[in-house]
Amino acid sequence: MDSHPASSAGAAPGLTHPGWRFGARTTWAAPALLVAVGYYFAARVGFAFTLQPYPISTLWPPNALLLAALLLAPTRAWWWLLAAVLPAHLLVELQSGVPVAMVLGWYVSNCSEALIGAGLARAFVPWPLRLDSLRSAGIFLFCGALAGPVVSSFLDAALVSLVGFGERGYWDLVGTRIFSNTLAALTVAPLILTLASIQIPRLRAARTARYAEATALFVGLGVTCMMVFNLPQFDNHTEPALFYAPLPFLVWAALRFGPAGTASAIAVLVVATIFGTVNGLGPFAGSTPQETVREMQLFLTAVAVPMLLLAVVLDERARVELDAREQRLQLTHLSRVAMLGELSGGIAHELNQPLTAILSNAQAALHLVGNKSAHPDILMEILRDIIAADQRAGEVIRRLRTLFKRGETQFQPLDANELIHEVLGIVHGDLVTRSVEVVSELAAALPKIHGDRVELEQVMLNLVVNACDAMGGGVAPEQRRLTVRTRAVEDGAVQISFSDCGPGFTPEQYARLFEPFYTTKPRGLGLGLSISRAIIRTHHGRLWGSSAPGKGASFHIVLPALAANGR
Amino acid sequence: MASIVPYVAIVDDEEPVRKALKRLLRASGLDAESYASGQDFLEAAVLREPDCVLLDLHMPRMSGLQVLRALQAARRALAIIVITAHDAPETREQCLAAGASAFLRKPLEEHELLDTITAALGARTR
Repeated sequence: MDSHPASSAGAAPGLTHPGWRFGARTTWAAPALLVAVGYYFAARVGFAFTLQPYPISTLWPPNALLLAALLLAPTRAWWWLLAAVLPAHLLVELQSGVPVAMVLGWYVSNCSEALIGAGLARAFVPWPLRLDSLRSAGIFLFCGALAGPVVSSFLDAALVSLVGFGERGYWDLVGTRIFSNTLAALTVAPLILTLASIQIPRLRAARTARYAEATALFVGLGVTCMMVFNLPQFDNHTEPALFYAPLPFLVWAALRFGPAGTASAIAVLVVATIFGTVNGLGPFAGSTPQETVREMQLFLTAVAVPMLLLAVVLDERARVELDAREQRLQLTHLSRVAMLGELSGGIAHELNQPLTAILSNAQAALHLVGNKSAHPDILMEILRDIIAADQRAGEVIRRLRTLFKRGETQFQPLDANELIHEVLGIVHGDLVTRSVEVVSELAAALPKIHGDRVELEQVMLNLVVNACDAMGGGVAPEQRRLTVRTRAVEDGAVQISFSDCGPGFTPEQYARLFEPFYTTKPRGLGLGLSISRAIIRTHHGRLWGSSAPGKGASFHIVLPALAANGR
Repeated sequence: MASIVPYVAIVDDEEPVRKALKRLLRASGLDAESYASGQDFLEAAVLREPDCVLLDLHMPRMSGLQVLRALQAARRALAIIVITAHDAPETREQCLAAGASAFLRKPLEEHELLDTITAALGARTR
């Protein structure tokens, strides 16, 4: 056991709880105890992974556990954690009959490894370090998996020489310890760090299919590892291709299960490989232990580092894309709400009409009942009118509520004519108060389109509002006309056009019309058309404008029909 | 000159609104008739001049303001109360300038409506 260099090891469960953080008011007793218990068992694992009869530890996890704990804890808590592992260290090491001076020496070198790794990493990344970006993963690898084990191994070997324990030379000890502890840091610390950042609610919300996929992945990986590294018939060096058998599973983990899944898969591979090797099975069993262990450690390190980095890069990219998507959704929603704000006058008009009918009808009924001149038939008719007016007001609110809501994009089969009907219903008040006459030329029996109702209504609403704005100043009220057309076009697509009789636009204006923040309106944000075009693009359609000078502007949307795009 | 029961004309393109207003005015003891457009009203007013008019502002083809101006051009001084469901301060001034005697916002409060009609009728009979 001479060379079980301090490595780090296994995650204390308390540290891995997502909602759990070291905070100002946290008492350190419980976390420190968990780390100590983890350290003890990690050391037992280290002893178990020792090649018999040669006392060489192939993987020494306690130091990696301590490293991960320090990376997750605020700096002021470090001394608590270091102190807490001393009893665990003494307990586990003294059982193995090592001299007390050596036991204490290893405590110092083990702690120094974790401290060097965590201290260096903290200089670059603020607490807590998460393996969620290429930068933080690189810093972890350099500080925790390289600098910590390398630097502390010189100290460790020096202490061993000083105490005079064992018979191995200084440089032999240094080399053995570096490989062993680097592998442990790569296996154990990422597992703890990534599991610590898992969000339990998201885990609970995951679908059964996802759990099934994870099960398939880990069962497949486990079986493959057993086949390659734990069966005697592959016990030779003649089939190097077998080394690659677990790789597809690791790539699968990186692609689908992020850094946490990849760290877990690496841990499975490492444990299976070492287990086979120390039991004389698999491709690394055979010649002298020193040689095969070194080969095995190099193999595992060479697999773990790129896989871990791949998972982190993919995860980071997915998160960036998700953030961008979220921002797009927010902007789309904000622009929609702003547009509805502009329509508030017209919406008030739409609500006031039925309210007027309801109020006047009810007051009339009161008079009739008060005068005792109410015929039941008349009262029935009044009540029916009240109900109808109430339903109309309810309809206005229903339409608005749909548009105000902020939700995920939901694609469904839609009827373009019905969307236009809805949109004209929303702007009806505005059209009336702005004296805009609407001419609808809607083709009957249009094929259905596939899209998000709210987003497509937003685009149409935007085009209608733009058309009304264009006709606001220069066009006489009796000439303000908005023509809405739908028709089926070639390739099974549906075209929707909005034409106004405003001043139109010049080619120079058109060149900038779809740019964000370009506007010709005094109070416009200039986002409407750029957002509209982005929405239509996500629907695999096209949005463009056309204008004849002095004869108004037209905007056209073409959307693929449901059958045509195969959905 | 007003008949014994004053006659109020209601001009509104919204059928439910004009129906309800007609009911209310009739239940309040007034004679009321309703018209769906400015043209309909102007034609009918030639035959029977109302004592008071409830005139909606926003109507297709001929707006309330255009009706006011047509009456002004024909030098016909009617007691006209403009009613609107749209809250736009600038139109109020335009209507009053075009000869409206009052400007009310929908939904119409019964007492306010009847008081305004009474005031308009009183001003007319003086």
